[in-house]
Amino acid sequence: MMNSSEKYSRNADRTATEDDKRGAKTFTRKKACRYCSDKNLQVDFKDQSALKYFVTERGKIIPRRISGNCAKHQRQIAKAIKRARALALIPYLVIQG
Amino acid sequence: MTQASAAIRLREYETVFLLKPELPDEVVDQTKERVRTIVNREGGKLLRFTTWGKKRTMYPVKAQPRAVYIHALYLGGPALVSELERNLRNLDNVLRYLSVRLADDVDPDTRPVSEDIKLSGDIDDNRPLGGAERDAERAEMGVFDGDDDDDMGDDL
Repeated sequence: MMNSSEKYSRNADRTATEDDKRGAKTFTRKKACRYCSDKNLQVDFKDQSALKYFVTERGKIIPRRISGNCAKHQRQIAKAIKRARALALIPYLVIQG
Repeated sequence: MTQASAAIRLREYETVFLLKPELPDEVVDQTKERVRTIVNREGGKLLRFTTWGKKRTMYPVKAQPRAVYIHALYLGGPALVSELERNLRNLDNVLRYLSVRLADDVDPDTRPVSEDIKLSGDIDDNRPLGGAERDAERAEMGVFDGDDDDDMGDDL
């Protein structure tokens, strides 16, 4: 019984610390959509150097929760990446050894 | 619809097509002229050709590791694009093509025809991933492979 109550208390402590961590995480800086912050920037499938920021090393499209793009520009970027892939400007996949 | 009105309104399109890498410049120019005649014949207006030059493709396209990239910017109707793509499909030298609509309702008089641009293909440092650069990068990183293992050991 003692053990189980200890376990509960430990669990309670654990959840509290996790909550703290979560609370700390919310202080991380909100990433801004780079296409919203600079109105002159246009999403262009021909600009492979700009698109590489939204693609992983393996060639996958980075989700917007990580890249920080707004929904509108993420749609445009995803389409641009797919067009660039079709023209072999960007790889469909990178096989890593 | 729009063409029936007084001022002719066209759409703005761009087409990128890939040519075989071993083609001489004359054949590349011939292909460009062929595209230009098709656009003019179908009532369009070719604004600009940009030759990106011979570039390494990120994966083999029709068994070719390189291709000559040509970008065409033009005005026209939807029938023009299908006619142009039909022609590109029939040309053996064309490896691949992609057409994109950029704008609707463009007045052709407002868009000037500009000179063709020719870029040197292989000297692009903008290559993001894959290919030779990736291999070179990996070769450089190979020096640090031992260090990575050491770091893991330190953490543990």
